[in-house]
Amino acid sequence: MMFMSHSSLTAWLDELAGERTLIAPRDVGRGHIHLRPVAGSSEITLEYDRPDLSAKEFLFPHTERLMQVEKRSDQVTLHDRFLEKGQVVFGLRPCDAHGLVALDALFRDREPADAHYTRRRQKTALVGIACPQMWESCFCTSLGGAPDDPTHLDVLLTAVEGGYAVQPVTNQGEALLASAAIEEVTDLSLPDIPRNEQVPVLAADQWPAHFDQEYWSRLGERCLSCKLCTFVCPTCRCFDLRDEPVASRTDLVLIERMRVWDACTAPNYRTIAGGHNSRPLKGQRIRNRYYCKFCYYPKDFGPLGCVGCGRCIDVCPVNIDIVEMLNTVYAMHQERDTVEAEAET
Amino acid sequence: MFRRPHQCRQLGGEFHHFLRLTTARPCLTQDNGFVSSAGYVHEEETHLIEQIRAKARELLESGRVSCVIGYEAATRGGTRPAFIYDPDGVDRLVWNRECYANLTTFLHDKKKPARRGEEVPNVAIMTKPCDSRAINLLLSEGQISRDKVYIIGLACGGMMAEGNLQAPCLRCNVRIPVLYDTLIGDPPDIDVTDDFEDLAELEGMSAEERLQFWLREFDRCIRCYACRQACPGCYCNVCEFDRDDSLWIGMQIELPQKYFFHTFRAMHLAGRCVECNECERVCPMDIPLSLLNRKLVKEVSELLGHRGGMTTDPVPFVTILADGEVSLI
Amino acid sequence: MSDNGSNPMRPYVGRLAGTKELATEIRLFQIELQEPAGKAAFANYRPGQFAFVSAFGSGEAPFGITSIPGRGDLLEFAVQRHPHGKTTNGLHRLDVGDPVGVRGPLGNWFAMDEIQGKDILVLGGGIGGAPLRPVISTILDNRDEYGKTTILWAARTPSLLIFTDEYDAWRAAPRTELHLTVDQRPPDWREGNEGLITTLLENVGPSPENTITITCGPPIMIHFVTLSLRKLGFTLDQMLVTLEGRMHCGIGKCGRCNLGDIFVCADGPVFYHSQVAKLLESFL
Repeated sequence: MMFMSHSSLTAWLDELAGERTLIAPRDVGRGHIHLRPVAGSSEITLEYDRPDLSAKEFLFPHTERLMQVEKRSDQVTLHDRFLEKGQVVFGLRPCDAHGLVALDALFRDREPADAHYTRRRQKTALVGIACPQMWESCFCTSLGGAPDDPTHLDVLLTAVEGGYAVQPVTNQGEALLASAAIEEVTDLSLPDIPRNEQVPVLAADQWPAHFDQEYWSRLGERCLSCKLCTFVCPTCRCFDLRDEPVASRTDLVLIERMRVWDACTAPNYRTIAGGHNSRPLKGQRIRNRYYCKFCYYPKDFGPLGCVGCGRCIDVCPVNIDIVEMLNTVYAMHQERDTVEAEAET
Repeated sequence: MFRRPHQCRQLGGEFHHFLRLTTARPCLTQDNGFVSSAGYVHEEETHLIEQIRAKARELLESGRVSCVIGYEAATRGGTRPAFIYDPDGVDRLVWNRECYANLTTFLHDKKKPARRGEEVPNVAIMTKPCDSRAINLLLSEGQISRDKVYIIGLACGGMMAEGNLQAPCLRCNVRIPVLYDTLIGDPPDIDVTDDFEDLAELEGMSAEERLQFWLREFDRCIRCYACRQACPGCYCNVCEFDRDDSLWIGMQIELPQKYFFHTFRAMHLAGRCVECNECERVCPMDIPLSLLNRKLVKEVSELLGHRGGMTTDPVPFVTILADGEVSLI
Repeated sequence: MSDNGSNPMRPYVGRLAGTKELATEIRLFQIELQEPAGKAAFANYRPGQFAFVSAFGSGEAPFGITSIPGRGDLLEFAVQRHPHGKTTNGLHRLDVGDPVGVRGPLGNWFAMDEIQGKDILVLGGGIGGAPLRPVISTILDNRDEYGKTTILWAARTPSLLIFTDEYDAWRAAPRTELHLTVDQRPPDWREGNEGLITTLLENVGPSPENTITITCGPPIMIHFVTLSLRKLGFTLDQMLVTLEGRMHCGIGKCGRCNLGDIFVCADGPVFYHSQVAKLLESFL
């Protein structure tokens, strides 16, 4: 097993920060930890559980400038804007990396590939730190993940006495570690992390039967229609697209075309030009969010649209709890099976 | 003609195998019709919840209201909004020191009939003193009609967080609702004055220091609009910040836009804010929005002698149109 | 391939070659693409496909292409100005000669070759008539390939009827009928009927035999037209509709136009109603 001491880690991170953009957990005030670009290891905090937001924003930024439009008299020139410098996201959790599987399937692997996401993905390395525990709202193990799952990372670090156990996962991870001071140790054992109770998740083709249940309108009744659950979600990817002016002179107008996170939970999300809104009710919108994750996404793109990070549970001001929802839908399904079995006999 | 995405595939067998291995059991909660254990309840308050449930049952059974908006136990401690339509559902209601949410914001959902052709529903609502001021605000702005809302007023000793009274409750001197149809509980004997001590630190700062303070706070904002959505005073059909023609503000989730959003919203609430603190409570980033709103509460109070929602008097700087409609300047 | 060439969100730059007032607040935009890549992309678009049109600075929005390849080199879009629509206002402010952007062609199309030999019933409501114009043009240009064609054309008022200067040509074509209707008829308007398109439909009473219907209009119109067609004996397999959604990408990424597990932009916008009926979620 490979081992990196605290001081080696610090030196390694400072070196990484020199050549690429280093993104790492940072205290942004009032105890909140966000993944943010940092100048060096001194700005990083290693005391955190789950960053407030997932790593999604560095592949699919909340505000992405797709291009700049330069307008001179009657001439227009478009300048594409792409990420140029490589970036390392350090300190993300395994579930955050798992979330990128869903984004990859949509933005990168489904034709036509999104150029901006694909470029960012190529230029990003992921150095995760295993969760020391499963926190109360975590249910990653119910969705194919684990607090110490290295699968979707380039390197996984696990906190051990005096430093970190190091697991390179990909070739990119190996290359990244080339400059790190790593020792080979034999007597290193990784902590055994207690698992939370499993949450039952119906298969994609079992969901449609429950689409018209009254449950959804009851669940939606307390929803505030804010965008919180979708913004903290590692896989939610709805966006809006708009032109915003940057500068305006008589001979030159600069405009940026940008895409910005949006949320299917917002009231006017579906309003079309004539004013028609095909999802005017809160229950319809919250249902869409969950069906997107567990039914549409796997059908259309392969992976599930949920990795069990539990963020939406923790932040929801009105206790719309995805685990409670999954349990309820499972119970409805069991009940349906029972009724059908009774009907047969 | 009808092109299906070629990626159509179901969940792999591995996942099903995985599911079979688990000891999955449904947890029984209100949402699937089973009653979970009650939340944290003060012993002396248990008789109050019986009064509340009896009143709710009476109102539903008599047909006086079709829905009771109240609190029920949440899944992981604390409470959450509950909507009770069936008299037998009243046992879900709870009343304790963790009933934080200002339920009056849900009255906006009850302004219209549930289905076309039906009447505007009559509802009852569990109302804390601070939240009751929002009902006055909505009445003064013609948003709801008094006869459609039955107010189950709750005398309040304050809400607790981590074993202590919440900061806003420590300075609160409105201990029974400013209006109600029935009052549950005795007014607690608490005598405090609100001297805006919470603003002292901010007011002691120079303009530049204040700017830096707020920029650091707004830096965490993600423009999720939870503050706006939870606020009973934020009910415009299309908010300025949601307009497609973005007359006022760019759509970027970046510091200048976030700064503008919060200050603009605070201005829109000047004289209207009822100090329920919901915006701050729901903020996932703990931005101290109450400081912003309370500063304007103080200014309006000192300049115009008006405090939002204490009576049904409209905010001093609104225009009353000829037909009685109220419009903000 | 260059980055630009593989960027599906990048519009092709063109020039506004001409405009024409079609109706109140509805203007036809004729666009000449300038970049060779753009010309190549739009060399062979089909009736029913759509594209995003950019008024740089005001944004882009999706519009059904209302021209057909082969009838001139210009791409045409009919754009209705909405009071709060940033892009439609931006487009209406453009002058001839101004630069515009076009991204597409996107979505599926009316498979005109599959419905050859059938009678065709075309139902267009308001601006919804725009993507039907290339359908009508295709039929008229290949008149012998299609059976009897009945066009029901509706708008709220006569001043909102689009493509009025083409009605004579439609009427003059062999085995082709045009019926107009407006919600409320002004006293001096004699050209058509009064009432909703469903009333007109039931008055005209087309036979379902060997007929395909093609409907485009607001969701509520599609809903009621479908009910009327069923009364007349049409099955959902005979009804083609084009749906709209609040699209922002047009390529199945932005998530905004899903109806259950399909995306109107990438899986549509043209559907048989029998497909729409099977969807989990209603378009209404």
